[in-house]
Amino acid sequence: MFKNYLKIAWRNLLKNKGYTFINVGGLALGMAVTLIIGLWIQDELSYNRYFKNKDSLAQVFQSQTFNGETGTGPAIPRPLEKGLRDGYGDNFKHLIMCSWTNDHYLKYGEKNISRPGNYMQKAGIEMFGLNIIKGEKDGLREINSIMLSESTADALFGNEDPIGKIITVSNEHKMNVSAVYSDIPVNNSFNDTDFVIPWKKYLANNEWIRNAEDQWGNNSFQMFVQLADNVTFDKINSTIKNVKKNLNEDTAQFNPQIFLFPMEEWYLRGNFENGKQVGGRIKYVWLFGIIGAFVLLLACINFMNLSTARSEKRGKEVGIRKSIGSQRGQLIYQFLSESFIVVLFAFIVAILLVLLSLNGFNELSKKEIVFPWGNGVFWGVSLLFILFTSLLAGSYPALYLSSFKPVDVLKGTFKTGKYAGLPRKILVVVQFTVSVAFIIGTVIVMQQINFAKNRPVGYDKEGLIQVPTFSQDFVGKYDLMRTEFLGSGAVIEMSTSSSPTTQIWSNRGGFTWEGKPEGFQEDLAWTEVSPEYAKSLNMKIVEGRDFSRDFATDSLGVLINETAKKYLGMENPVGQLLRDDNEEDPNPPLKIIGVVQDMITQSPYEPVKQGVYVYDRNDNASYYNMRLNPNQSATQNITTIQNVFKEHFPDIPFEYDFVDGEYGEKFASEERIGTLSGVFTALAILISCLGLFGLTSFVAEQRKKEIGVRKVLGASIFNVWNMLSKDFLKLVIISCFIAVPIAYFVMNGWLQEYPYRVILKWWIFAIAIVGAMFVTLLTVSFQAIKAAKANPVKSLRTE
Amino acid sequence: MLLQLRNIFKWVQLGGQRIFLLKDINLEVQEGEFISIMGPSGSGKSTLLNVIGMLDTFDEGEYDFLNESVHSLKEKYRSNLYKEYIGFVFQSYHLLDDLTVEENLEMPLLYKKIKSSERKALVADMLDRFSIVGKKDLFPTQLSGGQQQLVGVARALIGKPKLILADEPTGNLNSQQSEEIMQLFKKLNKEEGVTIIQVTHSEKNAAYGSRIINLLDGRKI
Repeated sequence: MFKNYLKIAWRNLLKNKGYTFINVGGLALGMAVTLIIGLWIQDELSYNRYFKNKDSLAQVFQSQTFNGETGTGPAIPRPLEKGLRDGYGDNFKHLIMCSWTNDHYLKYGEKNISRPGNYMQKAGIEMFGLNIIKGEKDGLREINSIMLSESTADALFGNEDPIGKIITVSNEHKMNVSAVYSDIPVNNSFNDTDFVIPWKKYLANNEWIRNAEDQWGNNSFQMFVQLADNVTFDKINSTIKNVKKNLNEDTAQFNPQIFLFPMEEWYLRGNFENGKQVGGRIKYVWLFGIIGAFVLLLACINFMNLSTARSEKRGKEVGIRKSIGSQRGQLIYQFLSESFIVVLFAFIVAILLVLLSLNGFNELSKKEIVFPWGNGVFWGVSLLFILFTSLLAGSYPALYLSSFKPVDVLKGTFKTGKYAGLPRKILVVVQFTVSVAFIIGTVIVMQQINFAKNRPVGYDKEGLIQVPTFSQDFVGKYDLMRTEFLGSGAVIEMSTSSSPTTQIWSNRGGFTWEGKPEGFQEDLAWTEVSPEYAKSLNMKIVEGRDFSRDFATDSLGVLINETAKKYLGMENPVGQLLRDDNEEDPNPPLKIIGVVQDMITQSPYEPVKQGVYVYDRNDNASYYNMRLNPNQSATQNITTIQNVFKEHFPDIPFEYDFVDGEYGEKFASEERIGTLSGVFTALAILISCLGLFGLTSFVAEQRKKEIGVRKVLGASIFNVWNMLSKDFLKLVIISCFIAVPIAYFVMNGWLQEYPYRVILKWWIFAIAIVGAMFVTLLTVSFQAIKAAKANPVKSLRTE
Repeated sequence: MLLQLRNIFKWVQLGGQRIFLLKDINLEVQEGEFISIMGPSGSGKSTLLNVIGMLDTFDEGEYDFLNESVHSLKEKYRSNLYKEYIGFVFQSYHLLDDLTVEENLEMPLLYKKIKSSERKALVADMLDRFSIVGKKDLFPTQLSGGQQQLVGVARALIGKPKLILADEPTGNLNSQQSEEIMQLFKKLNKEEGVTIIQVTHSEKNAAYGSRIINLLDGRKI
């Protein structure tokens, strides 16, 4: 029997090619979208699963409150290590101190590369369970040892055996390669850790870190832990939260709260607001999950709609089958089998579509998703998915068609009742509601991105590059290098800074000034710069003046930004002093010489932070900022700069970034979301239109006789077109009325997350509505006009 | 006795008024009879045939088929009953357009859950008997009206029914094709003892039967 159904289903598919194309194509498209989204979600959820102890790993976090605002982050002070080990050591299997992941120069022979890596205590190797391929298991035992990731070892040594070789780190420290470990995968927070050096070495190299041993206010380090067996995060978090407060009085005013942030939550739930965890990327997992479900729903609706629309054609078959002995159950079974076959067919097409588009999708979403051919779970889920879809899509037509009375359909008196079209209409409304809501959502996301992009950044980011100078070799050479670079003709102005143009690396407090309110806990973004900073970036001075080499006193001068002027509460800031409030051994006071325009260094969606630009007296900056010569090509400029650089620092790899590119990175996440939702919206609309197209053709077919009669009686093509289009247009208008409030509500909620956001305008909604109506008319008209132009004699004769 | 109708009424409610489609029909049919039902349009011929074929229900009265009381049977048993004993022939043939001649013939056997080998044999027999072996792989639309009706009759016969119900079987055929189908019915009735009830407009076709029932406004006259 099943073979027979298969045969009929297959012949049906072949006979009605247009219908098959719309039905299978639409469903396959919907499935492909859902599959891709499913793979994306799976990839997101698989983040940070690489370490075998992942479930018991955590990072120590700290929340502190300044002026009523609570900030949360991973930066902790060094004495916390002792505090936790001494007071709560039993709760941890391991506890390690760790540096931030920073770029360092690694040199072996002629090879000199720059790679990110960490300093950490030796238990980290066992705690994270790094997979040692070569060398010592306990590779951080010796203070002068370094462990390399496989790819880093390859880059440095090629085919040579790296173990026991001496390499130079940061152009000054000779280190012995003790071990090589497997690269940590992309979907892991430690993906960037290309080498590991003992923590002891970090202390030995840096005086300020040694000094930080008992500085509770110096939050400059990271700490990771592995819980002991039988200890839960909840339990330990309730015991350690006040550890810092209890041990140190000076910082207690900021109410430091210490807690463990489990590794499995780092990636997806890493956002904190006012000390509370508020989700994170997980919202996108949900967003895309919902989009995937809706797109599949749209495709299923099409399937159901087209199948029932064709029911009159198949009604006769039902009648005949019933009259020669088929029971209702058998018919239901038949129609469900047919639906299964179509869905299976669509699934195969969907897999082809996924394979074709996976590369493009990976590029869009910055992922490395591969199709899981060998994954049993994937195929199991797929099978369930196919069964579910065929049930969802096939059940309505199956139940509906099989309920026909044979006498009615065979006598030819069968007519769908007045409300037989109602479910179909509801389905169309659902479809267009989703599509219109998608259109509105996408337009608003795009608008928000453009809004932030068009925000004035406060400096000229075009034609500006930054060159990292993370080595002692650069100290004291700035003036020389400036002369050299300016003289080369490639650079028209340059400066140094202690952090990149697009980031804030340091924040300071502890000042007093005239009119400072009692108990005010200031927090200022702190950037040390050379005198030409504002000039090289084309920042506008709004009050006072820029740094000048002509005034020796400027070495204790400071520029503040406009926000800082308001923040410090100064009417006339120029000439005022920022004094160090450390009474025993104060730094000299800083004199405000000017106010510069606000410049976006952090998120383009956030207000600019209050900041100060301090004269870098020690010439110990992290970056050269160079304004390229606009009269030469960028490549020419870069080549010249590289040559000058190499001449003076032959042992240091020359690296550079365009500042506008770095700035663009700030939008990357939102832009990806925008592009993806744009693509999915387009597909959703396409699927809806396919369905509408199919549906119109059936309605036109169904009303063929009516159209014939009307034409004989004198109806014009326009009359007929109007008659057919009106019905569908009505449905779309209803959809708009449902979609607009939903979209408004959801998008308004989304925008609330951005302090700097676009205002929702009514015309966005108008555009979506008009667009949906236009697309509907276009789709419907094609069929309507075809039906209207048909010769009435032909359609009337068929009766 | 093959079947018996006693005081069958069927009506529809139209604006508070009962319109009778069948009114007090009494009918006994013996095995081996060949009955023609005649009457003008709207007199209830087809309705009566559908009631006999259990495709349609009635509102009052009793109907026994092979000593089973059809009126008290559940839908499922009723369909088992007619699947087993009744074959239908329609005016517009009602073959399944998506299936070949051979597959159309096989269809009722599938619903009777007959084994594959037996099905093949029965279909081959039937094709042979109606001399349509050469057409077995054609689709209905590739055949003439007479040929399609031939397939229709073959399909009705393949389940070895006791009763064939034919609703104007020659209504769409020309006179020569009509003649052939009627001859076929006569032969089946005579030689194989199949009971046949046909609805017809034509006196000539009615004459093939052994008994004529005349209907007018749902009533036997």
